[in-house]
Amino acid sequence: MNPSVDDRLNSVLRALETVVLPALPENASLAQEQVMLAMGQLQIIQAQRDAAAGYEQEELDDIATMARAVLEVSDVPEGCSDARRGLADSLEKEDGYPRERSERIREALDALLIAAHEDRSYHRALTDVILPLGQKRAVKDRGWFGMMGFDAEYAPG
Amino acid sequence: MSIDTEPQLAAMLEARKARRSLPPYIPQRDADVAKLLQGWFDKHEPSSTVADVARMGGGASKEQFVFTLRARGSERKYVLRMDALEGITETSREREYEILKAFQGVVPVPNPVWLDANADHFPTPAVIMEFVDGVTKPQTDGVTVTGLGTVLGDPLRGVIAPQFYDNLAKIHTFDWANADLPSFTAPTGDPKQPTRWLIAFWKELLEQDAVTREPVLRLATQWLEDNVPDCEHPCVVHGDYRTGNYLFDEESGQITAVLDWEMSYLGDFHADLGWLLQPVFGSHLDGVFRASDIAPPDEVIAGYEAASGNTVDRAKLHYFTVFNAWKSYILVSALGMQAARTAHNHQDVLLTFLAATGPMFVDDLARLLMMEESR
Repeated sequence: MNPSVDDRLNSVLRALETVVLPALPENASLAQEQVMLAMGQLQIIQAQRDAAAGYEQEELDDIATMARAVLEVSDVPEGCSDARRGLADSLEKEDGYPRERSERIREALDALLIAAHEDRSYHRALTDVILPLGQKRAVKDRGWFGMMGFDAEYAPG
Repeated sequence: MSIDTEPQLAAMLEARKARRSLPPYIPQRDADVAKLLQGWFDKHEPSSTVADVARMGGGASKEQFVFTLRARGSERKYVLRMDALEGITETSREREYEILKAFQGVVPVPNPVWLDANADHFPTPAVIMEFVDGVTKPQTDGVTVTGLGTVLGDPLRGVIAPQFYDNLAKIHTFDWANADLPSFTAPTGDPKQPTRWLIAFWKELLEQDAVTREPVLRLATQWLEDNVPDCEHPCVVHGDYRTGNYLFDEESGQITAVLDWEMSYLGDFHADLGWLLQPVFGSHLDGVFRASDIAPPDEVIAGYEAASGNTVDRAKLHYFTVFNAWKSYILVSALGMQAARTAHNHQDVLLTFLAATGPMFVDDLARLLMMEESR
């Protein structure tokens, strides 16, 4: 039988915990911290593994939703038309992994926000669209990283 | 084009670009550091011997080693702080040395004794300071990144709180104009210059290091640029004042040293308040949020006002609350992530761990920018 990803990760974790960590000198504080952090990272990666592809697809869906909402904002000033077109183009390109596609849309959104900064009313309208959607996405990300234990509202237990 | 910020910081921003393409950073080993230190002291303290070199735990920016120096029949412990190639912060050992020297006898701080500002001897810029006894958190607090979620608890909290306010008040009322701070430039050109310089510095770091383009961050950057408040009386801003960044004697609760001055500058005192009030540095116990585990925010503000004589302007505090969420994101999600990606730090695995706090700051920023105060 081929070893599963879980079998392999578990064996790495066990080696770190029962062999590497105890073998470190008592005063090797950085090495001890690094091993414990590595173990923590691996445990969280293991727990997220099955959902990771879905998470990245959802990230793409959310940034695309934001971009479409931005494109619906009317009264586009002339100085923003190129950047707006760039955003529309970024949505149409379907090559690449979800993370790469998300980044393309993010770059295009960023360019539009820079171009729009001088036009108060258009920029305000974009802001009103982006902030609630950005916050909604950030809340999902906080949940995703809750296992890291930093975030009191999302930490397990 | 030069960045509109403190000239020394503008030069630092320019210099860091050249480091980006360097090969991965290899963490220093105790034995190599011992040799480097002995070489340094052969020049600066002849007939002295370096012993017991050991890496210090904690921290997410500098390589730190504690060691003993034996000279002329006595011995003393020191700390070596040395840059990695890149890290979660971009700061100057020279400024750190100067500010620590300036604050000797003002608030408890480590005494910096030697400086290698330009890495003439050490592989990267380094400062050596006297070791100070104390802890950053009670020993019962378990394993946490220092300052994130630290719980002082009772009765320690009650002993530390007045010192916490008093030390911050002394920092903000310090007579910097008559201090020896040659690496700092006073932002006295116009009332907006202190904060305009500050925003320009951090914006440039974000531009250089962003690993993703976050729309909420762009909006926050633009809002901060559009709403720079006046600062008529710049003061020393510590830049990272919070629980976790001071040492205290666990038995007496006496603060023995205020640490981590590397991000200090001359600017608006509200910046320090906005920083220490951040949710990420506080505790949530029994339904009560205590900033830096000292007290609820309004109580902290009242304690600070009483100690300093400064009046906290709520509109400025809001501005610097936005600024600090923005700065925090830049630290963990831009500088920290870029340092990890380029393998330019000794704690890449910690940096990618800390980067997971990024969404907290995006959430904070979106919420803050939607508030009436931001309109």
